[in-house]
Amino acid sequence: MTDTQKISSWLLLWKAIKYQPRLYFTDSILWILISSLPAVPGLIIREFFNAISGASKLGFSLQMSIALLLAVTVGQITVIFMGRLTKTQHRFTISTLVRHNLLANIFQRPGGLPLVIGSETGRTLSPGEAVGYFREDAKQIEDNVALISEVIGEGLFSVVAIAILFTVNAQITLFVFFPLLVMVAIVHQAETQIKRYRRASRQTTERVTGIIGEMFSAVQAIKVTGSQTNILNYFQQANEKRRHLMLRDRLFTAILYSVYRNLVSVGTGLILLLASQSMQANAGTLTVGDFALFIYYLTFVTDFLGFVGTFMAFYKQTDVSFERMQTLLPGQSAAALVDRKPLYLKELGGRQPQLPPVEQPKGDRGEPLQELTASNLTYYYPGSNCGIAQINLKLVRGSFTAITGPVGSGKTTLLRVLLGLLPLQAGEIYWNGRLVTDPGNFFVPPRSAYTPQMPQFFSYSLRDNILLGLEASETEVRQAIATAVFERDVAAMPKGLETLVGSKGVRLSGGQLQRAAAARMFVRQPELLVFDDLSSALDVETEKLLWERLFAHKSTGINNWQPTCLVVSHRPAILRRADWIICLKEGTVEAEGLFKDIYPEGS
Amino acid sequence: MPLKQYWNLLVDYLKPQRDNVIWLAIALLSSIGLQILNPQILRYFIDTAVAGGSQQSLFVAALLFTILALLSQVLSVAATYFGETIAWRATNALRVDLAAHCLNLDLSFHKSRTPGELIERIDGDVTALAQFFSQMAVYVLGNLLLLIGILIALFWEDWRAGFGLTLYSITSLLILVRLRLYSIPYWAAYRQVGAEFFGFLGEQLSGTEDIRANGAVSYAMHRFYKIVQRWLPIFHKARLTATVLWGSSVGLFALGNAIALAVGAYLWSQGALSIGTVYLIFYYTNLLRQPIEQIRTQLEELQQAEASIYRIRELFQIQSKLTISGNQLLSANALSVDFQQVWFSYESPVKQIREVREKDCIQTPEEWALRDISFYLPPGQVLGLLGRTGSGKTTLSRLLLRLYEPQKGSIYLGGVPIQEARLTEVTQRLGLVTQDVQLFQATIRDNLTFFNRNLQDEKLLQVLEELGLSGWLKSLPQGLDTQLEADSKGLSAGEAQLLAMSRIFLKNPSLVILDEASSRLDPITEKRTERAIDKLLKKRTGIIIAHRLQTIQRADKIAILEDGKIIEWGDRQQLASNPYSRFAQLLKTGLTEALA
Repeated sequence: MTDTQKISSWLLLWKAIKYQPRLYFTDSILWILISSLPAVPGLIIREFFNAISGASKLGFSLQMSIALLLAVTVGQITVIFMGRLTKTQHRFTISTLVRHNLLANIFQRPGGLPLVIGSETGRTLSPGEAVGYFREDAKQIEDNVALISEVIGEGLFSVVAIAILFTVNAQITLFVFFPLLVMVAIVHQAETQIKRYRRASRQTTERVTGIIGEMFSAVQAIKVTGSQTNILNYFQQANEKRRHLMLRDRLFTAILYSVYRNLVSVGTGLILLLASQSMQANAGTLTVGDFALFIYYLTFVTDFLGFVGTFMAFYKQTDVSFERMQTLLPGQSAAALVDRKPLYLKELGGRQPQLPPVEQPKGDRGEPLQELTASNLTYYYPGSNCGIAQINLKLVRGSFTAITGPVGSGKTTLLRVLLGLLPLQAGEIYWNGRLVTDPGNFFVPPRSAYTPQMPQFFSYSLRDNILLGLEASETEVRQAIATAVFERDVAAMPKGLETLVGSKGVRLSGGQLQRAAAARMFVRQPELLVFDDLSSALDVETEKLLWERLFAHKSTGINNWQPTCLVVSHRPAILRRADWIICLKEGTVEAEGLFKDIYPEGS
Repeated sequence: MPLKQYWNLLVDYLKPQRDNVIWLAIALLSSIGLQILNPQILRYFIDTAVAGGSQQSLFVAALLFTILALLSQVLSVAATYFGETIAWRATNALRVDLAAHCLNLDLSFHKSRTPGELIERIDGDVTALAQFFSQMAVYVLGNLLLLIGILIALFWEDWRAGFGLTLYSITSLLILVRLRLYSIPYWAAYRQVGAEFFGFLGEQLSGTEDIRANGAVSYAMHRFYKIVQRWLPIFHKARLTATVLWGSSVGLFALGNAIALAVGAYLWSQGALSIGTVYLIFYYTNLLRQPIEQIRTQLEELQQAEASIYRIRELFQIQSKLTISGNQLLSANALSVDFQQVWFSYESPVKQIREVREKDCIQTPEEWALRDISFYLPPGQVLGLLGRTGSGKTTLSRLLLRLYEPQKGSIYLGGVPIQEARLTEVTQRLGLVTQDVQLFQATIRDNLTFFNRNLQDEKLLQVLEELGLSGWLKSLPQGLDTQLEADSKGLSAGEAQLLAMSRIFLKNPSLVILDEASSRLDPITEKRTERAIDKLLKKRTGIIIAHRLQTIQRADKIAILEDGKIIEWGDRQQLASNPYSRFAQLLKTGLTEALA
């Protein structure tokens, strides 16, 4: 299963359809009815005109035809209501499935790895841009699946209509197929262009949403530098570029569609010509009713042909959408996007399903950490020579190891590689002497927990942000918060732990974020605590207090918790306290040892 | 009432594109004309055929039919071109206007909205309006003309047919328009949950590291399920309202056919019409379908557009909480800073925003971030601001930059009351470096200059040199033109901080605020910036906010904040030599660790 092997989008759509076969089947039947019921009025109208011209074979009265027409309509409306209900349910299910699988698979990647479009270009996506994949591309799949049953419905109707027309006049009917063949050939030709234009216009759309996202993430910086005009000019340029590409995309689609319509019109002209001959030469073979039927059905059949054209163009765009989403999941096949996964959506006429409980860290802290060793850890950022190389590391139970070094020396990278947040390019990691094969899934609570330099908080309550689904008693939460020296801040918040934080709620200061993130780690009581520069936003006293409280834990082993610590820091007090210091420079170990070895007195 | 709003929006954004609008109208009107003409050819065709007319005239009719069809396709492509051009120009202008408006709102607005939500409102809502701009007015108008044209043609054939079908058309339109109004709130609700959902996704995507490393994937998915569970019934309701509209139109069309056939049958039995004309009436009735349906779908688009318009208008109506700025200039020399009994709370401006959702984050009224702050910093001096996290240091700098406005008290910059100074003056004369560095996915140059294209490269290179970044710049493949990646993932935190410092060096501020500016720098890098900071503070007033004592060694004055109050103020030297001062105590505990 390599990413070079491309799966046809038809197969992917089929897999998506199979997610809920019963619903889809019902939906398709209803849609076949919705699109084929209009065939009946055609026959009634034919009878009507035949009756007027005295050529009726069935002997319907005029009033009867009209009454029948209205009765069929009532049926039609009923089916429309049912069909929309199933369609809505199915549409929502499909886009949710794709969104779910995309998100779940992104979570499966190493968490520190940026989202990149295409491995060769390596352009990183901002979260704002990535949301576009969830919004538009998933919608594209949803629309495509919905269109399939409509196209099948109309196709069946067309087949039936053509069969009826064939019995009326075979020669004329055959001419309906002629434009179809030409059209298919044209779509084939235009295929590559549609794809290219679509991709280009999508990319500019991403750029625009990306800029909006960045603009408002950096709103403070923009305001204090008074750069509003500059940034808006930049935004406008991106908008203009998008307009050009969008226009090209839309216009090309319109021309293509128009070509189908033209072919159909030419075909219609031919049919008129042929019909005239039949009507003229042997007036008996083609009645006015037959002619009305021809024109009535022809509209539907030609509409169908146009629809097939649109659908095929649409399908090409779906292809692009699958491809785009797949690039977010390197090494994964696109089939992962439509994998069968539970969504817990309420079924039509069913009950709201119960959500499964949130997964808890397994076991009693797993296997206690005795010794963690890593050798030859190597990682280079794609397309650069920045990274870390051949780093060896050894942490023993209860120890406190500090990593230090200048900006850009690879401290954060080392932590990320060790924890599997970036993929190992070389090197091994051993937990109690056993090789860790999948660090990303191994280094999670209860084995380890991690606070990045800029911890991310979500628009949930403070409690939910700290627990992130963990089941813990109130005492445990309070204890973790106290250890993180965060209790005063919590007490000062309007609703305490229930205060909404994140971008929609109370905005936490840098120091509060770091302590809340520390509490998030402590409440999990992991074997290994990894901090990326806790001191960067904390003042001296607060940080001192935090370490004191944590060390108190360590020495007493409350709840048998004796965490091992790995921290990035520049603070001499921390370095002095460390059992071992690793000094990095340009991605390699420059020096390691105790404080007194590395910083001889007086320097 | 809402029609007037559409009209205003239309006029505002379409005015600059008059020519395109005219071309669009021509293209659309011509295709309408062709559509009324087409059935006449058909009737001629039938009549000629039934009457046994010549092969040649039938051929001409068929040919004419084909040519008209081709022509109408060309017109439709032209209409697409003009329509899309108009739509994208107009919506782009609207996007920029909205973005500009939001950028000018004060921070209490941004505090309550995620960037993801703003993407949805600036791009999502505006894109929904694209149809409205490109086609709605012209289409609705054009289709009304088509409708009237067909009805006139029907009257021409027979007044009874014309009368019956006119009555039918008016009734149908009225019913369909009525139904439209009823579904707006459902679609608004649908998009609201959508915005929430995509906001949620945005947060998850920027927090993958935290989520993975803390074993919270299952919880994130749990949240996902909860939102979609809530979203589905809302989607059902919104779509059902659209179904009602569709069902009604299907019913109405069938009724139209029935009327046409009944009228035709009656008139035929009276001997008033030929078979060909009965067919023509039937054909025209079917042709009515198109304008009515088009008007209906345009109205359906309008429903979505209307919900978007409401939300766009709502956004435009949000006013900045800042009082209007004055027009006074600030001195180009070092500025004095004067705080007089300043009280500030984040919570009261939040309260004024009438949004239910935000009830969740309202703080108690006692929650003052700053209480009774008074001090005077003479021009050219440097103030070191100390205090625990959350003690109000950052808040103080935000007030100076007019990101917020105090509830009580006043602030003077160089003797000018801050709200009377021109806002561009404040941003020009003040420079701020914060802990969070925001970088754009753009070139290094644009990140340095904030997209100001007037700055010379030499100037940039000089600044980078001063900050010791020239070596780093040389290591980049394309120098200043190198693209930074999203989330500054290609850049270490320290490098990002140095870049942010460079921005300040590029302007020539009179007051420099360094908010924990060097917190991410390791000691070596920090030393590199020392010299630069010295230079920056020369002949300027400075405020340095720091946790680390080392960074404020160059301060003349010291202020220590606690819970929003100044608990100690004085000359640094004096405080340091007074063993009972808080500052001296801090020096005793902290200095050892600040100096390696």
